[in-house]
Amino acid sequence: MLQKILQNILLFVALVLIQVLVLNNIQFLGFVNPYIYILFLLSQPVKQPRMLTLTLAFMLGITIDIFSSTLGIHAFATVFVAFIRSGVIKLFFSIDEGFNPSPSFFSLGVGVYIRYVSVIVVIHHILLFTLEAFSFANFGFVLLKALLSAIITILLILGTQSFNKK
Amino acid sequence: MRNLFNFLLKYFSVLFFLILEIISFSLIISSQSYQRAHFFSSSNTVVASIYQTGNSVVEFFKLKTSNENLSEENTQLKNEIIALKRQLSAFEMQKSDSSELRLAPETAYRYISAKVINCSTSKMQNYITLNKGMRDGVRKNMGVISEEGAVGIVIDVSDKFSVVIPIINTKLLISSKFKRNNYSGTLTWSGVNSRFASLNDIARHVEFSKGDTLITSGFTPSFPENIPIGFVDDFHIDPSDSYYTIKISLAVDFKTLAHVKIIDYSNFDEQTTLEKSVQN
Repeated sequence: MLQKILQNILLFVALVLIQVLVLNNIQFLGFVNPYIYILFLLSQPVKQPRMLTLTLAFMLGITIDIFSSTLGIHAFATVFVAFIRSGVIKLFFSIDEGFNPSPSFFSLGVGVYIRYVSVIVVIHHILLFTLEAFSFANFGFVLLKALLSAIITILLILGTQSFNKK
Repeated sequence: MRNLFNFLLKYFSVLFFLILEIISFSLIISSQSYQRAHFFSSSNTVVASIYQTGNSVVEFFKLKTSNENLSEENTQLKNEIIALKRQLSAFEMQKSDSSELRLAPETAYRYISAKVINCSTSKMQNYITLNKGMRDGVRKNMGVISEEGAVGIVIDVSDKFSVVIPIINTKLLISSKFKRNNYSGTLTWSGVNSRFASLNDIARHVEFSKGDTLITSGFTPSFPENIPIGFVDDFHIDPSDSYYTIKISLAVDFKTLAHVKIIDYSNFDEQTTLEKSVQN
């Protein structure tokens, strides 16, 4: 149990540092900015109490916000996907009673995991980029930015998962 | 009883979700106007020191370009010194008593040099963090420039760090004018490309051409006059419009920004209080 908590704290810190020090400085094509920190939320156990997931999501979002001077934007998007997450999993996968896996290639299967990650990341990114622009002027461009960044984020997340042998 | 408890738990998580979303959204709303204080921003000491550590690695790769810029500026400054010395000696010959010479009040400023430790360019609301703060004399609303031209305005200061809102932030509007005819307009950034901004309130009768320099107007106390902002890249006007749509290529390349200067204008408070007293 303690090991699980420590592991989670480590993952949280590592992802935030990677996000703000490395990925926020990467601008592929000038405007594509992947947000891999969402992986922390994606890998929380499926049947974790909702209140805990929401709290963790809010902490994660607000941390990223503080680092990028965009108060509230990441928190809003992350809390939103934390709320719909269990619904999305149920859409693709039926969980047996008394079984509480952390989503990964191995626990959900490759196909389901890819679908799960894609849906969450796309919703998160569209919400995030719309809130960042805070207007519907240039909405096509915002959407393009969101989708391209989402594709990169999904590829990065699937890449890290393929290293994760368990 | 247990069912009731479960029901409440479920209901509470929805309520909790809504509360968190409302908190986030009100934070977003309150940070929409950039004059508002940013309580949790990257001028926060913990955040800024993490950035500083990260930046010490990245800065190494920017050394070459910033060295070139610095040496270029150095030569320019040396030339200026020589020209000024010549002028000074000419004046001294004319006038033995120099006590009547007085500096124009709007030119009383000095520079604080600072290093960029965090700079985003790919977002709509970009911000820059600098490694100078209150203890170095940085205050809110000071202008920030680099060797190439105007960068932005300081919006938040902590003891050791400060956050700048750059031209490439959709919230910042900068008062600018053409160098050749002094016609002024407001520069806005659309959020698409960090190299270009636009100028939309230049009337049809104004004459200008591609390549013209756009400079700061000096109408805001943050910037002195004559600091380059950008160059006219392209423009067009529809027959029915009375204003040009002008594309400005910015003088500063924010992607390679490493060293900047903060302008400390000593008459700032006097000028703004006087202006405010007239408006009220």
